[in-house]
Amino acid sequence: MQFDDQGRVNKSKKRAVFNQPEAKNRVELFRHLPQYEHGSQLTDLESKFLELDSMHPAVYKVGVQYLAGDVTGGNARCIAMLRAFQEVINDYSTPPGKTLVRDLTAKISSYVSFLIECRPLSMSMGNAIRFQKSRIAKLPLTLSETEAKAALCNDIDRFINEKIILADKVIVRHAATKVRDGDVLLTYGSSCVVEMILLYAHELGKQFRVVVVDSRPKHEGQALLRRLLAKGLSCTYTHINAVSYIMHEVTRVFLGASSVLSNGTTYSRVGTACVAMVAHAFRVPVLICCEAYKFHERVQLDSICSNELGDSNDIARVPGRPDVNSMDNRTNEKNLQFLNLMYDATPSEYVSMIITDYGMIPPTSVPVIVREYRREYLLI
Amino acid sequence: MPDTQALVMTFLTSLKNATARQTAELLRSVISQQRVPYTNQAGALIDAVKAVGEQLIAANPVELAVGNIVRRVLHIIREEDLSLTTAAIGELNLSAVSDDENDDDRDGNTTLSAAAVAAAARSTLRPPSLQTLLEDTPVSAAVPQTSSSGAADKSSRSRKLKHDVIEAVNELIQDIVTCHEQIAEQAVEHIHQNEVILTLGSSRTVSEFLFAAKEKKRSFRVFVAEGAPRYQGHLLAKELVARGLQTTLITDSAVFAMISRVNMVIVGAHAVMANGGVIAPVGMNLVALAAQKHAVPFVVLAGSHKLCPLYPHNPEVLLNELRSPSELLDFGEFSDCMDFGSGSGSPLLHVVNPAFDYVPPKLVSLFITDAGGHNPSYMYRLIADYYSADDLVVQRRAIAGN
Repeated sequence: MQFDDQGRVNKSKKRAVFNQPEAKNRVELFRHLPQYEHGSQLTDLESKFLELDSMHPAVYKVGVQYLAGDVTGGNARCIAMLRAFQEVINDYSTPPGKTLVRDLTAKISSYVSFLIECRPLSMSMGNAIRFQKSRIAKLPLTLSETEAKAALCNDIDRFINEKIILADKVIVRHAATKVRDGDVLLTYGSSCVVEMILLYAHELGKQFRVVVVDSRPKHEGQALLRRLLAKGLSCTYTHINAVSYIMHEVTRVFLGASSVLSNGTTYSRVGTACVAMVAHAFRVPVLICCEAYKFHERVQLDSICSNELGDSNDIARVPGRPDVNSMDNRTNEKNLQFLNLMYDATPSEYVSMIITDYGMIPPTSVPVIVREYRREYLLI
Repeated sequence: MPDTQALVMTFLTSLKNATARQTAELLRSVISQQRVPYTNQAGALIDAVKAVGEQLIAANPVELAVGNIVRRVLHIIREEDLSLTTAAIGELNLSAVSDDENDDDRDGNTTLSAAAVAAAARSTLRPPSLQTLLEDTPVSAAVPQTSSSGAADKSSRSRKLKHDVIEAVNELIQDIVTCHEQIAEQAVEHIHQNEVILTLGSSRTVSEFLFAAKEKKRSFRVFVAEGAPRYQGHLLAKELVARGLQTTLITDSAVFAMISRVNMVIVGAHAVMANGGVIAPVGMNLVALAAQKHAVPFVVLAGSHKLCPLYPHNPEVLLNELRSPSELLDFGEFSDCMDFGSGSGSPLLHVVNPAFDYVPPKLVSLFITDAGGHNPSYMYRLIADYYSADDLVVQRRAIAGN
């Protein structure tokens, strides 16, 4: 939806479940994206809990988890949403005078728009929703309600199992062959697939070191660091500005992705493009680990046309640095804006290889997979 | 000289905040308090400055500006000595011609004996030939004592040398202090209307540059990358907003995302090496690579006192300094992993926190100094203006039989 179109924005506000005040100092370049004041959203939503009788509690719970930032990462968000939809389907009963197909689709759509209000959809979630709707639409009309509900729940289970859990196992097997003894592996932020790869390679007994690169404002790398250290891997921790300093001793770079687009661009956490660029300058191979269900037929050239904007207070406030934090009360100053991008687009020339459950492919093969294997959805 | 030694000691302890200007002021007091012998004054001054300079450089090798100023002062001493000697020789030729003139009316300075002048000329005018090197005799021994009128003249000549040197050092200090204005004057040539500028961290030269352009009514917007882990970008953004500039503060990870919409990158430098490479706050290499990929000009602002005559591959040059890990990680959370005493004796976790970044010359589009704009490939020529080849290694040579 275009957020620079005032008419549409007003219409969507009327349909909104909870109100979100728009941020005051919006960056001009990003007027087409939503940007809200994050302070009051969570309390507002919590206070509305008892009023939302049309909202299934499972979906509400997932929405609150997204808003609070408890559930992050493409896979985790997708699985949480699909489990919530399973509960919805289990508790569903067709109201008199309506067909299951149309009514259930409408319900799912309303839940999806609620989730979008909490946090814009990731690509993985978008693909899962499309899969879900196509499964509902393809239900044979001869099925009774209980059979239809059972079939749909089964489909969701199969989707999660095949597309996410088994796919991760295949990716880990493939990627572990690329880790040799004496390697120094660099990773950025926290990706669940990359973590699994590192732990699996460590279990296999390979001797390697890990470099974890982290950045503001989320410091996601620290959680990954803790989990790796608990398993006994030797790690180096640094921040993204020091990537040029550390890159000369790195042999491989493993990165996760939120999605890979059809022109080979990798859409992932902001900062991934910087890391891939420096690795390319130092001739270090960059491997993207991404399940195939995250591929998308969209194309994107830069990080500005489509992105997500986070809380600008996260930028203004630096935890633990009172000398810098005297900026905090200036978030409403007219000339000053804070930009908190969540994603960025890595050009395909920086990526050496993409490891998916369909194998290890170059970035140019992504549109082939999108075209050939989309039909597989219909065959389930 | 106990006075100068005490001064040097207090200076060394405060070397964290040492600037080029303070170094120059310290060396000026060293020179003014140095007692010079009648002959070879320049040599004595050079030795004194080298002694102090060695200590200064050893105290904080990463602070290249200190070494630069020491070498500048040494160059000044040699130059002043050279100009005095050429003046003396010039006047000696005159005196040879007008030999019958009345000696009393002449200026005291010019009545130097030919031998003394020739000896001085040998030491300064001619480059050391094999013969002088093999002789290895201190020049003062070869100079015969001059006749009576010499005493007053020599002291006035030595005073003149010190006086000239101190004047030149004062000029140097003045240059250092005003370098920001001279660089800022060139701002209007480089910033046009409706421009978008990106910078990282905070540099006084950059903020003065942008203010100067704003004064001349150019309207432009600035993206400031915050420059973790020191977060100086926040301070720069505050200053720019206070002056009425449209500023957007971004994280360092968003630099690649935003640089496609930027017209120019303007940054300051910690030091400029002789090959045109730049030593800058950490994160600058990232910005330079991104700017090259998107064909955005990468402009470095640096005063001429930041130009270092050494190359990055010289062993004396420490390109970097590693700072405390506590800026990145909370010690309390990870203390068991970073402890050398746990488990097998080596810690599982290393934290790397470099302070500087090296940007190779091929990524830099332009240097703007107080002497104008230059290509990175031209910077080595400026060294000849400011430094002498003898001073590249600031060490006192052990004099035989001392």
